[in-house]
Amino acid sequence: MGVDAQHRQLVSGLARERRAAFRAGTRAIMPSIPGSAAWSVIAGVAMLKGGLPAGWAIAWAFSVYAASAQLAVLPLMIAGAPLWVLVATGFITNLRFVIYSAALRPYFAHLPLRRRLALGFFMTDFTFLMFMRNSQDKLLPEKHVDSYFAGMCAVNYITWQVFFIVGVVAGSYVPTEWGMEFTGTLALIALVGPALNARPAVVGFIVASLVALITHALPFKLGIFCGAMAGIVAATLADRWRLPPAQEGMS
Amino acid sequence: MSETVPFITLLLVTIGLSASTIFTRTCFLVAGNRIRLSHTAEVALRYAPVCTLAAIIAPDVLLQGPGGSLDLSSLNPRLVGAAAAAVFLCFSRHIVGCMLVGMVAYSVARLYL
Repeated sequence: MGVDAQHRQLVSGLARERRAAFRAGTRAIMPSIPGSAAWSVIAGVAMLKGGLPAGWAIAWAFSVYAASAQLAVLPLMIAGAPLWVLVATGFITNLRFVIYSAALRPYFAHLPLRRRLALGFFMTDFTFLMFMRNSQDKLLPEKHVDSYFAGMCAVNYITWQVFFIVGVVAGSYVPTEWGMEFTGTLALIALVGPALNARPAVVGFIVASLVALITHALPFKLGIFCGAMAGIVAATLADRWRLPPAQEGMS
Repeated sequence: MSETVPFITLLLVTIGLSASTIFTRTCFLVAGNRIRLSHTAEVALRYAPVCTLAAIIAPDVLLQGPGGSLDLSSLNPRLVGAAAAAVFLCFSRHIVGCMLVGMVAYSVARLYL
């Protein structure tokens, strides 16, 4: 009897701690919410005006949940590129998440597989960057870091979906003559801009652009691939060349 | 643009993109101790998104018409819009502001130049 009560107290205490960590996570992500809400409205408009039917746009938001990949793939799909090119383009655009997932691993390695899968799926640029920044600033809770991260992700996901649907609905009222499909390209530019903060990235950007322009006449939109691959090789070489070999081992 | 994408393509793309999201975001969380990234691979992964987006943006902004001839003139509204957005990004990282500025410049160029 006594043991049972003690056990119950322990379990409810644990649940309370988890909920507290979850709530701390929801508070931690709040500063980024106005920005991500506005961005998801515009992404919703851009997806609809880019030619994706409203129902599919919303299905992508819920299941793909990767705005840059969605915006990158949509014009290619409308242009009639084959399936494997579409999926491969989405995949390359998503490759940055491989690095994110490697960085998150130490925090979540001890969790059951299902929990790790869920936390991974809901991770985005916003939640990852805020989480890592708060980790550096020692703002993470001592226990239940996964609940904290889940809180961040939950708020981010719900905000994204709600405002994305607002964007899709708003987009259906905007006349096609306004040329709103260009917002898709502008969104990609806005994503690339801040990433050009290092010289290898600039080298990659220029080489990828030039090669994509030169090879754009290739069938199946293969010019995108040639451009991306050439850019990645150029950026990697530029990164190598920047670091003297002696320093590389230390970094 | 006018032709609609077949249902089956939409369905398969949706599944494919979802799979790519799940794979890239969870690969290290799921199989972290079985895979190791070399330094070169990590560097390549870091620059992959920028390069892919560049390869999509450049033809979209600079090529005009069905034949896709290069249009570097200041009369190209997409170039004007992209340039305005790029200038904005030099001063601010605000995504929404960048898109507003780009959209205004694009519209003005399209309607009045």
